[in-house]
Amino acid sequence: MTPPPDALKSDTDHDTEHNGARRHRSLVFAGRIVLLLVTVGGWEALARLDLIPAAFIGQPSVFLPMMMEELLGGSILHAIADTLSATLAAFVLGGVLALLTALVLHAWPLLKAVVDPYLNAMNALPRVALVPLFIIWFGLGALSKIVSGISLMYFILLYNTIAGAQSVDPDHILLARSLGLTQRHIFLHIVVPTAAPAIFAGLRLGLVYTLLGVVTAELIAGGKGLGSLISYYSNTFNANGVFAVLLVLVILADLLSGLMTRIEHYLTRWKG
Amino acid sequence: MGTSPGHGGEIVLDGVVHAFRRHGRALRVLDGLSLAIGKGEFVSLVGPSGCGKTTALDLMSGLLPLQRGSMLVAGAPPLAGRRDTARMFARDALLPWRTAYGNIDFAVATRQPDPQRRDTLIRSLLADVGLAGFEHAYPRQLSQGMRQRVALARTFSLESAHIFLDEPFGALDAQTKLLLQDQLLKLWERVHSTVVLVSHDLAEAVALSDRVIVMSARPGRIIADVPIALPRPRSASKMQAMREFHELCAQLWHELERAVEPVS
Repeated sequence: MTPPPDALKSDTDHDTEHNGARRHRSLVFAGRIVLLLVTVGGWEALARLDLIPAAFIGQPSVFLPMMMEELLGGSILHAIADTLSATLAAFVLGGVLALLTALVLHAWPLLKAVVDPYLNAMNALPRVALVPLFIIWFGLGALSKIVSGISLMYFILLYNTIAGAQSVDPDHILLARSLGLTQRHIFLHIVVPTAAPAIFAGLRLGLVYTLLGVVTAELIAGGKGLGSLISYYSNTFNANGVFAVLLVLVILADLLSGLMTRIEHYLTRWKG
Repeated sequence: MGTSPGHGGEIVLDGVVHAFRRHGRALRVLDGLSLAIGKGEFVSLVGPSGCGKTTALDLMSGLLPLQRGSMLVAGAPPLAGRRDTARMFARDALLPWRTAYGNIDFAVATRQPDPQRRDTLIRSLLADVGLAGFEHAYPRQLSQGMRQRVALARTFSLESAHIFLDEPFGALDAQTKLLLQDQLLKLWERVHSTVVLVSHDLAEAVALSDRVIVMSARPGRIIADVPIALPRPRSASKMQAMREFHELCAQLWHELERAVEPVS
């Protein structure tokens, strides 16, 4: 590629740097497209040449149109709505619970010291293993999968919030004391903004994991969600169906995560 | 040593002793500090590092509880958050999520409920420290010197009768330091609050103060109390060319040498 003629004029440093960055970006983008095409093409070839039976790995030329068709008015829309509403409920409930817990533990450091090992133990527990219990306690309906989502969301946000609140700058506390601010004021105007970036990171991560918790519960319990759809297709040996739903899940998780990132960037724009 | 503690002072320290606990042992940092500072006086505390200058300032601003001795600021014991005291820190202590304007407002709002008045005050102070037009800049967008100027404006925005400054320009380069010292002088000469400045920079102490107190190595005691009879209004940058200024600096150097290596 030849450089554009005006790159040789004044301000060349800035321009070449700019062009270099742009070229780098388009290279990365092109590389990603190539990787995608090679993967999908290879996949298709494997299935067509019967190197691995299409019944096991599906076939992109089948499940991609299938996914599009489902998305344009198929039954999958109900499944998406079902999974998303449970995810949202778990996200909100788990998030509020986590923030309230963090508030209480911040106000009573002694209590925090007491419960710390138990919280750690519960966090180390694989939550998927609890889903059968949730089904016994809350039935096969929406409640057990919401609880499954909460069980992931709660700990992620709780730990992020506590870590964030602990990173308060001691100088800021001294300043607040010298200004005569109350504990409540210090919490709202110093601790909370300090913890905000960690809280947002927790919300973003938590949202994706909540989706995971809900789908896992659906896989085990059945019902109407995307997880149930996966287990239905899997039980009927329809690999293409499984992949179509998985693809929808990937897109959903990506959209949710992207949305959270946007909100995060806006609210913590002082970080630059 | 020139001071007669116990009477006739805006800030009066009498026999102040302070110790910290380090590794289970008591480490005495102040050993009978007695000092009287007049109303509207600009006094600097200098001394070798670890001599308890900042501890003395923390006690005066009420950030540390008094252990032994007595201390009165305007006739009352020091208390953190007193409306008549303002404190400036060695690091800017700006809130990164607030703009330059917002950081000053954070402090002013504790004293002035009327937002209209706050706005006028904040804008005029930002102009005084040469930061007009930087109202909406976040701390990360400002240089170290600019951040410390915001902190300076924040300190004076409280319009306190007593101002305690803890090595406010310690981290700045020489040029920026002179600029900020001049801005501090300009702000102070308008209000004439009582100022106690902790510094390890003798030239800074001489340029700014009415009196420089030299403290000994730990445990800190006062070993010299030097009046600085240079005319006001002053300018730290112009003073660099004055002979008296350099003589005073030399005299203080001599005193400080005694502080670092006490003669028996």
